[in-house]
Amino acid sequence: MMNSGFSEINTRTRQSLVANPLACTGCRTCEVICSLIKTGHICPEIARLHIDRDPFEGRFVPNVCHQCSIPYCLNACPVDAIGITEKFGVVIIDSEKCTGCGLCQKACPYGMIILEEEQKKGFKCDLCGGNPQCVKACPMNALGIAYFGARS
Amino acid sequence: MEEFVGWAGRILRINVTDRSTQVIPTQHYSKRFIGGLGIAAKIAWDEIKPDIGALDPDNKLIYATGPLTGTLAPGSGRMEIVGKSPRTFPKEVVTRSGMGGYWGVELKYAGYDAVILEGEAEEPLYIWIDKEKVKFFDASDLWGKDTFITQKRLKKKHGAKTQVICVGPAGENKSRIATIISETSFASGKSGFGAVMGAKKVKAIAVQGKDGHIDVAHPGRLINLASYYRDLLGYNPMREWTVGYIPTDYHLRFYKKYRAGNASCFGCPLQCFAFIKVPGLDSSQVNCVNYYYMNPAYSYYGETLEGDQALWEGVVLCNKLGICSFEIAGMVPWLKDLFDASLIDENSSGLPLSQHGSRKFIKELLTSITFRKNIGDVLAEGAARAATMLPGSWPFYEKYYPAHGQVEHNSVRDFPGIALLWALDSRDPMIDHHAYRHLSVSRQRWPNPHKLSLEKAQAVSEKIFGSKTAIDHSTYAEKPKAIAYCQNRSAVINSLVLCDFLYPIFVSQSREDRMGDTAAESKLLSAVTGVEISEKELDRVGERIWNLLRAIMVREGRTKREDTLHESYFRKSKIKREGKNEMQFTRLSSDHTKPVPRQIFEEAKGTYYRIRGWDGKTGCPTQEKLIALGLNDIANELYSLG
Repeated sequence: MMNSGFSEINTRTRQSLVANPLACTGCRTCEVICSLIKTGHICPEIARLHIDRDPFEGRFVPNVCHQCSIPYCLNACPVDAIGITEKFGVVIIDSEKCTGCGLCQKACPYGMIILEEEQKKGFKCDLCGGNPQCVKACPMNALGIAYFGARS
Repeated sequence: MEEFVGWAGRILRINVTDRSTQVIPTQHYSKRFIGGLGIAAKIAWDEIKPDIGALDPDNKLIYATGPLTGTLAPGSGRMEIVGKSPRTFPKEVVTRSGMGGYWGVELKYAGYDAVILEGEAEEPLYIWIDKEKVKFFDASDLWGKDTFITQKRLKKKHGAKTQVICVGPAGENKSRIATIISETSFASGKSGFGAVMGAKKVKAIAVQGKDGHIDVAHPGRLINLASYYRDLLGYNPMREWTVGYIPTDYHLRFYKKYRAGNASCFGCPLQCFAFIKVPGLDSSQVNCVNYYYMNPAYSYYGETLEGDQALWEGVVLCNKLGICSFEIAGMVPWLKDLFDASLIDENSSGLPLSQHGSRKFIKELLTSITFRKNIGDVLAEGAARAATMLPGSWPFYEKYYPAHGQVEHNSVRDFPGIALLWALDSRDPMIDHHAYRHLSVSRQRWPNPHKLSLEKAQAVSEKIFGSKTAIDHSTYAEKPKAIAYCQNRSAVINSLVLCDFLYPIFVSQSREDRMGDTAAESKLLSAVTGVEISEKELDRVGERIWNLLRAIMVREGRTKREDTLHESYFRKSKIKREGKNEMQFTRLSSDHTKPVPRQIFEEAKGTYYRIRGWDGKTGCPTQEKLIALGLNDIANELYSLG
C-alpha cells in the first residue's frame, strides 16, 4: 500500500551513500574497488556505483544507490527477493531467491541495479555491510555515508 | 600453462595499409620485459630498424599498457607509446612518450595489453576497437577537425564511455611537434607521435572495454596495499596548485578566479590536474606545462580578463590543434629574442611579433604552425630544426633547449643529476624522473607545512642511494649512481605502467620522518600477478629494459660523443632569463647562467658507464653485460653489426 509521494520519503531509518560531485575528479577508484570486492575481478562496468564523466565540462558525477525510503526495486520484485536489513536499513537482493528477471533494474530511477548476464542475478549496493569500501578508497573524499532518521 | 594473471594477454596488431589485424600473445614479451615500455621497446627493437624514417609507412607506434594498468594500484592510468620519433634532434630516433588518462585502461578492459599500429592508409580513417571487433571507419569528415570536436563526435557515435585518442590538424599536417590527445589535455607530446599518426592518416583510435575485466591473483592483498600506499603517499599539496613545484601569487589568483574543480587520470590519489573555465573560451584541464604563456600575457595585458583569456587561448589551442605545449613554451621566448635581435620581422614571418604576449600573437603563432603558413611551415618542424633553417637563430635556440631538440625542463645548469639525465637520454628525461626532482629540489621548496626539510631529505637519500650527496646539487659526486638507479626504476614504472609522479615513493607526506617505501611497485605487482617478485629482482628487470633502450640508441648510431648537452651549456650564459622571457620550467633554478663544468661532467659520465657495465670509450653496453641481463638476442644482433 505504499505510495512514493514526498510526504512519505523519510519513513524509515536508514543509511546510504552520498556523493559530492564537486569533489569528484572522475578517477574511478570507487568503481574499481567495488567490482574487486564484489566479484573478485576488476570490472568497473559492474560496480555497484558508477561515475558519469564529462571531461569537456569537467563534470564528474558519482551515481550511488540511495537505499530509497520506499525502494522502487523492492516494490518491483515479483519474487520478494529484495528486502531491507534491520541494522542499517540497507536494501539488499537475496541471490537465492533472485531469478534475474530484470524488473528491478527497469524500476530503479537511478540505474543502480546491475544485472549479471552469466549468473542471471541482479546485484546492487549493499553498503558493504555498513562499511563501504568505496568511501574509504576515494582519494578526494567525494563519497560519504548519510544517516536518515525516520520522520516522526 | 603457467598462471598469467594481471595482463589482458593479447597484443593487437593493426595494419592500416590493408586494414588487417592480428592478435599476438603478450607472454611472448612479458616474461623478460613485463609490459608497457618494456614490451614496446622489444617490439621496436624487432620491428623498427634504424633506416626507417619517422614518417615512413614502415614506422610503427606501439601503445602499451602493463600488468598494473587499470587495477587498484594508485596511479595506474598511464600507458606508454614507443616509435620512431619525428621530433628528436638531430636525428629521428626510437623513443618513448607516455600518456595518462583513461584510454590505456579502456584498451586493457577491451582485452588488449597493447596495440601495434603500422602501415599507412590511403584515405583518412579512424579505428574502432570494440573487444573482438576491430573496425575501420572513414574519417574524411573528421579530418581537419580539432581534437575536442573529434572526440565528442566519436563519443556520440560509439557511446559516452568510449575512450578516444586522436590527433588534431597539427598531426594531420605532420608537424613534428604534434601531440596525440585524449580528453582535454591527456597528451603524448614529447616525441611528436601525433605526426606519425597523421602520416598514417589515422585520425583517431576509439576503444570501449565495456564489461571486460582484469583478473587479480590476490584481491585482498591488493586492496590492503592500495589503501596502505594511498595513506603513505598522503595528502599531496600539488593538487592545490598543479604546477611543478610552487606556485606564484598571480598563478594562485588565476586559480581562484577560474578553477571549477580538479581532474585526474584513472585511479589517481594525487590529482595533478585542475579544471579551468575561462569566460569566452573552451574549458580544459590543466597542469604545469600549460601555463607557458602566463608571463608574456600578464606582461602585455596585466592581470586582466584579457590577460587571462590570452594565456588560456594558448592552453586550449594547443590542446585542440594538437601541438605540444612544451615546445611552444620554448618557442615563445625564442621568437621574441629573434625579433629583438632583428633576425625575423613581422612581414616575412607573418606573425604579429611586436605584440608578443597578446592573444592575437599566440593565436596566430599556433595556427600558422598547425597549417604551416609563412614561418609556421618552418616552426612546425620544431624549434631545433627551425633554428638550423633560420639564419643566426641557433645561439638563441640554445638558451632554451639543452639537448635532443627538447625544451629545458628543470634547470640543467643548476642541477648535476638533471644535467646527466638529460645528456644520457634520447629525449627530455624529466618527464620520467619527477620523484627524483621532487626529492632533491621541489619538496624542499614547498610552503609549510608540506615542506621537506633538508635533514629529512638527506635521510631519505641515505636510505635509497646510500649517501646524502646523491641529492646535493653542489657536486657531481654520487650522481651517476643515483641516476642509474632512477633510470632503472623509471623503466620499471613505465612498464607496469604506473605514474612517475607518485613512484618510486621516495617521500611520504603522511609520515613524521617522511620515509617512503620503494618496494611499493614490486609488492603491488606481486599482489596483482601472483608471481612473487622482490624489489631487487624488479630493478634488475628495469636495468634490462634500460639496456635494451640503450641498445636501440646504439644501433641507431648513438655513441658517448652524443651523450652531451648543447655547447652553450658548458659556457657561462651571458643572458639572464627573467620577467617576460622567463620560462615556466626553469623557475626552480637559482642561477641560469652557471656553466656545466665540462671536465667534471665528462668524468661523471665515465663513472656512469662504469656503473652501468658499458664500454667507457663508446658508451655501448658490453656484450657480457647484455648477456648477464638475459639479452642474448640483443647482444648477438648488436655485436654482429660490428
